Amino acid sequence: MGPVILRPPLAELQQKANWLALLLLAIGLHVFEAALPSLGPWFKPGLANLVTLLALLWLGPRAAVLLSIGRVVIGSFFIGTLFTPTFVISMAGGLTAAVVMIAAWRFIPGISLIGVSLLGAIAHMVAQFVTVETLFIQQGVLYFALPPLLLLSTTTGWLNGALAGYIAARLEFPNE
Amino acid sequence: MAVSVNPRIPRQSMARLLKGSLTDRILLLISLAGIAAAWFAVQAVVASGPAVAEIYHGKTLLATYPLPKAGETPKSFQIDGELGPSEILLNEDGVRITSSPCSAQRCVYSGAHRHAGDMIACVPNRILITIRGSAKRRFDAIVE
Repeated sequence: MGPVILRPPLAELQQKANWLALLLLAIGLHVFEAALPSLGPWFKPGLANLVTLLALLWLGPRAAVLLSIGRVVIGSFFIGTLFTPTFVISMAGGLTAAVVMIAAWRFIPGISLIGVSLLGAIAHMVAQFVTVETLFIQQGVLYFALPPLLLLSTTTGWLNGALAGYIAARLEFPNE
Repeated sequence: MAVSVNPRIPRQSMARLLKGSLTDRILLLISLAGIAAAWFAVQAVVASGPAVAEIYHGKTLLATYPLPKAGETPKSFQIDGELGPSEILLNEDGVRITSSPCSAQRCVYSGAHRHAGDMIACVPNRILITIRGSAKRRFDAIVE
């Protein structure tokens, strides 16, 4: 008889497989968004962030934060921006959005996924500007470009939230 | 069978979902009011005075140039950024970066800008160009 290999519980493996599937989806969307024609400087539809929101609902806050980090690191590796200013800006935006979405979902009563996504999109854009202003171009005038971009963020945040709600209602929640 | 058992995520049609909850709508209203207030505040600051292009590198204001009007001679010059020199052209179309040492070249592709509040930011080269003041239109009217 050889040594007995203890297998992790099936539910735990399932959670890991789900997280990995979401990570791959987020990386794919990150690369896809980088290849899209630019809708303006620093502006993307935020589809990769939608996956962070799904991870938050499906697998919890820790999974969402880890997914956000993993997506930016591996996605940037594929599009050739690893450790460039673009990478730093993406990481700051992605992480801030994840933290704000976790807090909103947990603490704001009556909020739906649309409100969570809206706040995430706004936080993402503001964090990008703060990062650029702090690390790269130390000029307050930079913030003058923020209002029109925030208007676009509210639109994409609202639409992505509705999309997340549609998808999340069709996911299986094994632990609840 | 994939069925949601999370009471906070009800299964609804897309049309119903797009409406959001009351809390969502209040958040949207607060966001839009904030954005509108910021927009008007920015326009009040940037739209006053004659049209000029301000060129920055990191913390430093390198130069302020008036935007040439139609018929005036274009200006072209280089400024040194973090990675190397960026070529800048000022003409009747506004201001544009014509070449940059950055890899993405987004600053070059963004083209010419001449409206108050417009900006070109090349983050890798740490160059920022902003337009302040009201640029007079090159045409008083366009008639078909």
